[in-house]
Amino acid sequence: MSAGGDLLDETAARHLREPWDQLRLAEGRAFALQRAGATFGIWIFIASEVLFFGALFLLYTAMRLEHAADFAAAARETNIVYGTLNTALLLTSGLCAAIASQASEREGLRRLTLWCLALTAGLGLAFMVVKGLEYREDIERHLVPGAGFALKERATQLFFGFYWLSTAIHAIHLSIGIGLVLRLIWKEWRAPGFLFESPQVEVAMLYWGFVDMIWIVLYPMLYLDGRGG
Amino acid sequence: MSGRPRKAADGIWLRGLVVWALLLALLGASLVAAYAVPAPWTAAINFGIAATQAGLVALLFMRLDRADALVRLAAACGLFWLAILFVLTLTDTLSRLANS
Repeated sequence: MSAGGDLLDETAARHLREPWDQLRLAEGRAFALQRAGATFGIWIFIASEVLFFGALFLLYTAMRLEHAADFAAAARETNIVYGTLNTALLLTSGLCAAIASQASEREGLRRLTLWCLALTAGLGLAFMVVKGLEYREDIERHLVPGAGFALKERATQLFFGFYWLSTAIHAIHLSIGIGLVLRLIWKEWRAPGFLFESPQVEVAMLYWGFVDMIWIVLYPMLYLDGRGG
Repeated sequence: MSGRPRKAADGIWLRGLVVWALLLALLGASLVAAYAVPAPWTAAINFGIAATQAGLVALLFMRLDRADALVRLAAACGLFWLAILFVLTLTDTLSRLANS
């Protein structure tokens, strides 16, 4: 009854690329293998990114262990309202990304997929706006390490060095994610039906989920220390 | 025929919203803990909450709970090497602190 068979054949033909198209497998099977390969590949990339950010987080851990009091004093100066708002924005964008990914795998959910992709990108952009406001405030309060730094304890500069470095690198990753999502929306607009079962949606949404996870760990590091508990 | 996509969409939304609500509740809990819990415990609680949130995102949003074994192995490898990195470095840092 469903058009699943025909739609799947078109889908496989639309997305199959080398080497899957040359292995002389049935199209359906080749496409299933390609999708599995894409998921596996992005998780390997994510594992490498875990180590990339892990080194950064290890730096924070070692510095905080050695300068616990100064780090608590410095962390008090971050804007917890902006930080918590940003965390909530990213968690919501993660919800939209997860729904977009699952919706793209089912027939008849094209509008839902597009809406959720648009919301994901929109919430990511909202995060960047809030981050920009926060950066401006931090600069006005002289929380940039170097001459004229606002706090007198020396290791507080280490904390803020880490703050600027880690949030900037996270923002770069988030921008890449926003670009990936916007590209998917554009591809669907150019060729309707592109998103259905596309491995590119799964890959982009997994990348987004990872950027979300990075911020989830960064939030307590930067905002929740030294709050007088 | 149009009923099936609608029901599928509702199922996707329901699961997603439950996880999202849990994530936001944990966020609220970490905020409260930062202000209300006495000093030695706040870091443990807040990073524990963060690890739980990351686990929820990985398992339920990024669908590791339904992934095949190879994918889960790749994800686990990231954590494994991270563990080596942390353990080896912190043996140095912590023993210096203990001996100083």
